[in-house]
Amino acid sequence: MFEDKKDDFFLARWVSGELSEEEFKAFKKHPEYQYYAKIMAGADALDLKTYNVEKELIALKSKRENTTNKKKKGTVIKLLPYVAVAASIAIIFGIFLFGPKDDFATQYGETLTVQLPDGSEMILNAKSKASFDKDNWKNTRLVSLEGEAFFKVTKGSKFTVSTKNGEVSVLGTQFNVQSHNALFEVNCYEGKVSVVNKNYTEILTAGKAYRNYGNTPENWTFTGAEPTWLTNTSSFRSIPLKYVFKELEEQYNIQINSSNIDLTTIYTGTFPNNNKEVALRTVFSTLGMDYTISEDGNTVVLEK
Amino acid sequence: MSDNKNSTCNEKVFDNFFKSHSKLLRNYLYYKFGDLDQAEDIVQDAFIKLWNNCANVSIDKAKSYVYTVATNLGISITRHQKVKFKYQDYVTQRKSDINHESPEFIALEKEYMEKLKAAIASLPERQREVFLLSRIDKKTYKEIAELSGVSVKAIEKLMHKALGTLRKTLGNI
Repeated sequence: MFEDKKDDFFLARWVSGELSEEEFKAFKKHPEYQYYAKIMAGADALDLKTYNVEKELIALKSKRENTTNKKKKGTVIKLLPYVAVAASIAIIFGIFLFGPKDDFATQYGETLTVQLPDGSEMILNAKSKASFDKDNWKNTRLVSLEGEAFFKVTKGSKFTVSTKNGEVSVLGTQFNVQSHNALFEVNCYEGKVSVVNKNYTEILTAGKAYRNYGNTPENWTFTGAEPTWLTNTSSFRSIPLKYVFKELEEQYNIQINSSNIDLTTIYTGTFPNNNKEVALRTVFSTLGMDYTISEDGNTVVLEK
Repeated sequence: MSDNKNSTCNEKVFDNFFKSHSKLLRNYLYYKFGDLDQAEDIVQDAFIKLWNNCANVSIDKAKSYVYTVATNLGISITRHQKVKFKYQDYVTQRKSDINHESPEFIALEKEYMEKLKAAIASLPERQREVFLLSRIDKKTYKEIAELSGVSVKAIEKLMHKALGTLRKTLGNI
């Protein structure tokens, strides 16, 4: 259409008023000019139906509430069909046959959100077990835990998490407990937490953490509003390699063959819980280790 | 969640971000996928997704995040249907008179406006997007280039082409 103008931005420059005076004068005399001027005048008269930002924001907020509520319920069912079935069986049998005890367990790579009778929330990380006594809940808020879980406790009477490594009690707060064999770690995210084990009592305030590994207690401070595993990341702070490998195995249902590796090496770092390749690469490349994955994808062999 | 003043999770930060970006995103999606109601739904879904991921998306990344999420949503919705640009109900004549904007007043018959709207609707997607972002939202080529992640030159070329295509479609009227 505009073969005599080789410049293929010419009309764009005209629209934005970037033509030189001479160019513009010449263009105005051109027989095509009237048609383009008409298109532009018409286009500039166009508008869209108005957009009510305030109204849309209100709609968004009410939708947001709905989806987050749904999502919480959905996570339990979606991630864990069989655990949900197991849990409901436990409840049914629990009530009618074995007395009122509720048990929850997660498999490899799963997390499970459990609503406790008083509205408190417990989120179990992979390969963890927890149980509580529903009928006696009013008198004692007590959860037994093996593995790792994050708790959001509503205000009320003393809330206790009992593990093989010690007890953690609070009044109303958010905290993370990790208890694997010889490793015991508690992170307090809100409020105050008291940690008690055989020969130790410690009060943790928000942002404080406590760890006992091989009878060496340790305290430190951290930032972050919730444990990283809630957002699909496992993170470690100077921890023996053994526990990093254990977490990898639990998240991805794999076996790590580490016979040549010194498992007491201290590791600090993170890996994603939803991408196996990236997780393996992240951990092993920072350690300078080569690895091969077996054909069925379940075993990882390490070479130094 | 974090109450940090610059965190996307901060209610105020999020609200302000929504207020300053939702309209243009809605228009952008309309130009791209041709359905204004659907565009408004996608805006809602994209911002909900941003909220749910607010801890992982810093506020300076939030804009490109919602554009990407929304575009992907639009693509997955329209994958199975041919995009037909619904222009009849939505593109309306501006209330304010146009004399101030174009010095040479040109009388435009209703009939011409309808033809122009139809011609814009039948533009290739990218040309339409650029043309309408420039004309309706009054975005500069640079701003459009930033939105679609291409060079300013590419946008200028598309604008030039869009005008040429419209001229051809409308003929000598």
